[in-house]
Amino acid sequence: MHTFIKGIEYFLPEKRESNADLKIDNPDWIIDDIEKKTGVTTRRISSNNQTATDLAEEACKKLIKSGLETQDIDFIILVTQSPDYTLPTSACILQDRLGVGSCIAFDVNLGCSGFVYGLAISSSLISSGLAKQGILVCSDTYTKYIDKNDRTCRPLFSDAAAAVHISIAKDDLMGPFELGTDGSGFDKLIVPSSGSRIDSCGMVENRLYMSGADVFMFTMDMVPKAVNSLLYKSDKKIEDIDLFIFHQASKLVIDSIIRRLDLPEDKVFVNMKDIGNTVSATIPIALSDAIKDNRINTGDLIMLVGFGVGYSWGGCLIKWQ
Amino acid sequence: MSNIKDEILEIISKALEVDNKKIDFDSSVENVDEWDSLGHLSILVSLDKKFNGNLAGIKEMASVDSVKSIFKILENNNLI
Repeated sequence: MHTFIKGIEYFLPEKRESNADLKIDNPDWIIDDIEKKTGVTTRRISSNNQTATDLAEEACKKLIKSGLETQDIDFIILVTQSPDYTLPTSACILQDRLGVGSCIAFDVNLGCSGFVYGLAISSSLISSGLAKQGILVCSDTYTKYIDKNDRTCRPLFSDAAAAVHISIAKDDLMGPFELGTDGSGFDKLIVPSSGSRIDSCGMVENRLYMSGADVFMFTMDMVPKAVNSLLYKSDKKIEDIDLFIFHQASKLVIDSIIRRLDLPEDKVFVNMKDIGNTVSATIPIALSDAIKDNRINTGDLIMLVGFGVGYSWGGCLIKWQ
Repeated sequence: MSNIKDEILEIISKALEVDNKKIDFDSSVENVDEWDSLGHLSILVSLDKKFNGNLAGIKEMASVDSVKSIFKILENNNLI
């Protein structure tokens, strides 16, 4: 059995943070220089009592309101790295809050590659006959992990949730997939004391750390390879792809991918300016915005590629219906 | 060989948006204020452009902190 994306909704927290706001806490930051590299002018910040599960609930409710019947939901997959608790699984809390009956529900602990991984898992559940349709929801509140003086992370990351209705399809509309991992980079994008392992000094540092240069080098090495592998697997060329949607990491990263692959700029969708880097939610949010902007038509072939924390990456082709 | 090194010094000064006289063989994160984490990213992008993407597979480029270490890695990887 085949799979397709039947609907997308997203939810952004109300609070906006401008780059002028960053300057208040960090008078020495040269905002123009930062903005030139990030491509981000505004981020969304979850409130103190608003978690990724809360954002996910809002996005899922919008999806249900748009016509998805709760009794038809066979699975809820929540992609998050900011769960409410280490245990229980946030997807279980979400199932109860949405009033969905017993269904498959679990979290996927992945970041920027998580949406494509989630599509592959959803597709596998459907093709194996375990499910007919369900919700894949990507939600994170990385801003809660970020120090106000962290110039690498704070200008980039933003909070959001995007919920996607995945359903059984007659035609082959999703795939091939390219999923991969290089765990040697695990400590280049990390919240060091977020789990059981305490560092050798016994320090508890519950803050996000990113080595921008290392993550950039990984991205520049791996993303072109993943794109070329997908083209090879599908026997397509760059000119056969109608739209590329990459994880909205930063302007500098997207510009470098365009350069490395010699992609036509008008075929690469970019929307991080007013939303920021929302981790696993960037690709479904970009997909939704591209549809609203009439950048996607029925029958279009779209390449999605997510990459980052892990290191982990995932790419796939979808045919839009 | 020295021409390519001069060219790289020029690339680094442009990436850091500083006068080319400010960047020489002894320049490093220690003595160039503009060579911070954002400046470092600019250097990586500019060198990746210069070497047509051949820089991307060289992980240790992420942690270089001086002109000398950049030259050493480029030489070890037969890029200069």
